[in-house]
Amino acid sequence: MKFLFVLRQTFNNLWRERTPVLATILTIFIALTILIALFELSWVLYNQLYELKRNLVVEVYLKPSVPADEAEQVREKLKAYRTIERIRYISKATAADIFEEEFGENIMDILDENPLPTSFEIRLKSSFNHPEYLSVFKKQVEAMPEVDEVHYRHSVIEKLENVTEAVVMAGIFILIILVLAMNLLIRNTIKLSVYARQRQIMIMKILGSGNLLIRMPFILEGAFEGLVGGIFSAAGLIVAHRFLASTFPLLNFPARVYQLLWINTVILGIVIGLLTSAASTGHFINKVYSKK
Amino acid sequence: MIQFSHVTVNYGYVPGALKDINLQLRDGDFTLILGPTGSGKSTLLRLIYMDILPSGGVVKVGKWSSYRITPRQINLLRRNIGVVFQDFKLIENMSVFDNVSLPLVIEGYRRKYVKRVVNTLLDEVGLLHCGDQRASTLSLGEKQRVAIARAMTRNPFIVIADEPTGNLDREASENVLSLLQRIHGNGTSVLMATHDYELIKDTPYKRIYMENGQVLPPDRTMNIGKQRIRLLTKQE
Repeated sequence: MKFLFVLRQTFNNLWRERTPVLATILTIFIALTILIALFELSWVLYNQLYELKRNLVVEVYLKPSVPADEAEQVREKLKAYRTIERIRYISKATAADIFEEEFGENIMDILDENPLPTSFEIRLKSSFNHPEYLSVFKKQVEAMPEVDEVHYRHSVIEKLENVTEAVVMAGIFILIILVLAMNLLIRNTIKLSVYARQRQIMIMKILGSGNLLIRMPFILEGAFEGLVGGIFSAAGLIVAHRFLASTFPLLNFPARVYQLLWINTVILGIVIGLLTSAASTGHFINKVYSKK
Repeated sequence: MIQFSHVTVNYGYVPGALKDINLQLRDGDFTLILGPTGSGKSTLLRLIYMDILPSGGVVKVGKWSSYRITPRQINLLRRNIGVVFQDFKLIENMSVFDNVSLPLVIEGYRRKYVKRVVNTLLDEVGLLHCGDQRASTLSLGEKQRVAIARAMTRNPFIVIADEPTGNLDREASENVLSLLQRIHGNGTSVLMATHDYELIKDTPYKRIYMENGQVLPPDRTMNIGKQRIRLLTKQE
């Protein structure tokens, strides 16, 4: 009987305050959708960054005067670095083969000689593929007398890292604003519901009702708004993925991540609704009761 | 038993809503609290169901004392008291049945029991046929009968009625008084505040006279009380 009473009161509240309730649901839906979009964008950027770092090759070019046996000594020196995962030696001849593979012409036919230098292709362990270490590594290796130049595609990594960082920072900023907006709207809806029912709250108090029974319909109201907002957002996510995944293959998340994403969207909606309404209900009920 | 010992009540910075009240109300009595508007009758009643706590002194209601009562205990106390108000305090958009059943719902009684108790009470106040009607559709007299039914749902040891006839015509007022008399006849204490002297003039119940937040002393009460009845009746 108590449970039915609470449910009935909850849905009465929702129906009576339907306009602010709809506004709250809409805000939660928009906020969660933006949140997911930011999460997906960060996910894609991090994946790209990870792939880029995993495939990052540091090329160490030796001076043209360095003979092949000295190159072997350089290789031994490089091997001393524990941060290196793999070293590949590329002789002048191999470099000419690679040139031919990539450009379809033999460099000897074009220039009558092979100007390509002897080099090493180095792959660092993934945890050392960050700009700070790469620049230190470059300096150290370039200091070797046999080495002419060290080269890697640092600018792409740095740019992508900056973009990812900016997206995450913007995401956190937007998240704070959105959570505040959701909080304010849910509080406002709860406030309207509490004030619309202040007489009933007062009567129930006089009849000896505990606080929980009085608060529960309002708390459930917040949870319901969060649930519906979350469901709309998850539905939006599913629909968007169905249309966008074929055009943007990067959005093809693993099925488990995708499932977790939309389930968590709904859970997040409920949690936000529940916590905000639970926090504000007591405040407004006490205000109403002390005002009488 | 209800006991007031040196009770004073101040509302905010306004002192003297009640001044040094000493009273003892025995179980099973029908007691009338009389006095003009603003004399402190409602404040006295609110102290009994601990809607306000005294600024000084102690109110004891059964085993509960205002001196050290927790919010949880106040809820328990209120579940043992029936309260009837001048403005009925019904939830207008709820049905009559739901209004009367509210105290039982609060305590989590089962549907079957609630139905049985509420229908019996509605029958007793002559409103069984109105169970599904919204409270807002009833006449004022009917609303007060619903409020009395609600006050009785938990078989309280006392029913407090704060100006229960204040908004009613003569016939409805007499109906309400007769309902309260029936409740008292079944062994429940009744404490009724009123300034409708005409209605209660022939009743044999104990009277407490109040004026300016004070209970008038018993030896002066009867005389002053009788003079006041005549005075107010003339003015009205």
